Amino acid sequence: MSTAIAGIGRTEYSRNSGRTTMAMAAEACRGAVADTGLDLAEVDGMICFQAAGDSVGPLAVSQSIGLPELAWSIDMNGGGNVVANVIATAAAAIEAGLCRAVVAYRSLNGRSGYRFGTATGKLSVGGPLQFEAPHGYLVPPQWIAMWAKRHQHVYGSTCEDLGQIATTQRAHAVNNPHAINRTPLTMDDYMAGRWINEPFRIFDCAYEIDGAVAILIVGRELAASLRQPPVWLVGSGDSQSGRGWTEWDDPTQMYSRYAAPRLWNRTGLSAEDMDVACMYDCFTYTVMATMEDFGFCEKGGVGEFFAKGQATYGGDVVVNPHGGLLSEGYIHGLNHYYEAALQLRGQGGERQVPDAKLALVTAGAGPYGGASVLSSEEP
Amino acid sequence: MSVVTVVEAAPEPLPDLDTEGFWKATARGEIALGRCQSCRRWQHPPVERCRECAGPTAFEPISGAGSVYSFIVVHRASVPGFSGLLPYVIALVELDEQPGLRLAARLVGVEPSETTIGQRLQGEITEVFGSEYRIPVFRPVATLAP
Repeated sequence: MSTAIAGIGRTEYSRNSGRTTMAMAAEACRGAVADTGLDLAEVDGMICFQAAGDSVGPLAVSQSIGLPELAWSIDMNGGGNVVANVIATAAAAIEAGLCRAVVAYRSLNGRSGYRFGTATGKLSVGGPLQFEAPHGYLVPPQWIAMWAKRHQHVYGSTCEDLGQIATTQRAHAVNNPHAINRTPLTMDDYMAGRWINEPFRIFDCAYEIDGAVAILIVGRELAASLRQPPVWLVGSGDSQSGRGWTEWDDPTQMYSRYAAPRLWNRTGLSAEDMDVACMYDCFTYTVMATMEDFGFCEKGGVGEFFAKGQATYGGDVVVNPHGGLLSEGYIHGLNHYYEAALQLRGQGGERQVPDAKLALVTAGAGPYGGASVLSSEEP
Repeated sequence: MSVVTVVEAAPEPLPDLDTEGFWKATARGEIALGRCQSCRRWQHPPVERCRECAGPTAFEPISGAGSVYSFIVVHRASVPGFSGLLPYVIALVELDEQPGLRLAARLVGVEPSETTIGQRLQGEITEVFGSEYRIPVFRPVATLAP
């Protein structure tokens, strides 16, 4: 059975919500259902993801919006790496007949509360990171900068190439009223940005914010009865692990070296078929490495791809029309699904990608991640 | 190098049965990594059984010689204990013992602007700031062909 995104919901994005993750999750979930005209009580499945206990799970959120009970629920542990898996698992649960209507959500006070890019307090670190944390090496903006440096060494990519990604996405965010960063960014602005972890400057890093996004997924039959045009899930591809951030054999490639062929083989599609690409952009380099892996361009060619306008309106594919995590804000990648659905429904407003029919959405970085293809037409 | 003032404690390791051999070695002033006693492959991070052949592993000293596989210059205090040290260099150190055998570690005795990929390094043991634990750091050595 085909499944589709039938509804989308979200809260305001801000630097300090002044609200609980429960309150924001409830608003986003109610919003995703109200978007469709579905009776809230018909929602019988719920899935979310959270990391380091920074949010609230479906058992509590479903109660807070008055659902009678849940036939199916999962509280997945993870970050951006699990987002595509959350969507694929919700679709699989519907296809397996375990439930009919699933709300997938992410709610976080990512700026005012727990921040992924910063560790604080007296820490004792176990597992593989125990060898690295005592050196002051513990957070994603360090790991991924380390990988970017290796790419620069092997392929001669440059900071300006990363800057092309940051400035293009900011230009997109200028037309997005929901984005947190809408001030145009020039290459000079980018290069003048302060260093975070060289080769990353401030503008290479996702902008951490507070907020919530919810996505309603339903089966074919229910989708046909609802108000919004369905956005179909064509297929997904995931790849997690193998080796960790330090031992991964080739940091110029990410999880996508496995997930991309898996996705394209399953869907019979390729990069050149995509109208929109919501590329997970925790950091600019994540966009660079995954665009190469998904086949948008040759190794080392991403900077030129952006510089020539191939990643924006009128080019080959519009990358992150909402501005991405860099400029719209960091709702941990679920906001990429929101944007892809909006574009494929033709509701992108000023930033609508003309005739958008197919979208790639990716999520994750380094050894851990996945992706989906969405379509405005039933597969 | 500038004089370093450390005002906070760095994160401490939380050893377990599989990793305590590493920390016991550094306490003795040695760098030791897990090694399969059957196929002799080195293992890091350490595991009870070899990830390749499932043979038993034990910690054995390494030479401490290696080279910079990649590196970053940390400018933002993202981890407690290091604000007085900024900017500092973290490298992925590829060890001579085996291709792909790496440690992520802080470099000492080098300015960030002088660090390069491929630079030859030698490990030495230093304190974890504000802790009883000791840990390997790496220092550039005169460049001869490895």
